[in-house]
Amino acid sequence: MKVRRIGRVLLYDEGAAEELNIEEVAKYLREKLEKAQVKVRGNPFALWLEKSSDYARKLASIKIQDASRKIAPEQEPLYGEVSYEERRILGKTKSFGVLYDGFQLQRVFSELIAREERSLEVVHIFFTNRLFATWEENNKRYHARTSVYGVPSVISTRGLVEAPAKPREYYLLKQQYEVLGRDLLELKGRFKASFIDYGDERLTEVIKGYAMQAVFYHLVGNPFCEDKGCRLYNAHWQEELIFAQLESRYEFCECHTRILDSLRKNESEH
Amino acid sequence: MKVNIEEIEVKEDKTIKELMDELQLSTAPILLELSGRIFYPDAIKDRRLKRGDKVTLIPLITGG
Repeated sequence: MKVRRIGRVLLYDEGAAEELNIEEVAKYLREKLEKAQVKVRGNPFALWLEKSSDYARKLASIKIQDASRKIAPEQEPLYGEVSYEERRILGKTKSFGVLYDGFQLQRVFSELIAREERSLEVVHIFFTNRLFATWEENNKRYHARTSVYGVPSVISTRGLVEAPAKPREYYLLKQQYEVLGRDLLELKGRFKASFIDYGDERLTEVIKGYAMQAVFYHLVGNPFCEDKGCRLYNAHWQEELIFAQLESRYEFCECHTRILDSLRKNESEH
Repeated sequence: MKVNIEEIEVKEDKTIKELMDELQLSTAPILLELSGRIFYPDAIKDRRLKRGDKVTLIPLITGG
């Protein structure tokens, strides 16, 4: 397997959840990658505030209105939608509730990276609380996602809560609770160990694994692993996510551990 | 749709658009690396490639 060289890992905070400690994620990546330079860059829009209205328009135009209808290219946003996005860029609101097209969002974020830094040798990871989805041709609808891996990679803290499905039993009981008018917080409490929720103190630990998926995307071209106990496992259920990121006896499978080890060895030989 | 990042060698002169059509990747979410720089194919669709040029196909991959 060809392993590419990584020179730098740059982490950006695009309004991610407050409970995410990006400095801790950076420290973890430094430990794993040793000689690669890992830096936290903060808000990626900070250097582009004079173009905030342009970016606001672009973000407003990639909003998904209906999950069963693919968005039209260059759809015309409403004034209020553009205004909301500009407030969000300028840090005047952190509210969320909009669903974006994931690939288009990745493209807007790519414009915030200097051209000379758009390279496979530089891992750019944007942490955001924006929820995004991608269109699936087979069932003609959008599906919420946790992450898009590319240059840059985008990881959604809200996506980690919303995209992987909760246990089936939770959905069945939720319906009953709603019919009976019972408190949903009580139900969430019963299932606390089974899924990641808003304000969850486990989020930073979970994000470390997703950041490593972005790293492996650059290293070997594939962010994922088939091993359910490896942090690179592409979880579609919350229980799978919790097992891979928090409960497994090992962090990475033998194959991916070997790659990390060989990387350290090769780097120390240079 | 390709799954992994992969480098290919161009077999004959053609445009980026022709290459994407040939690989049936015209509508795929993908980036290209040419001479160390990364592009979205539609942004450089008329750029001409020469026989022997190396192009890295970088598919965007979703998780969750």
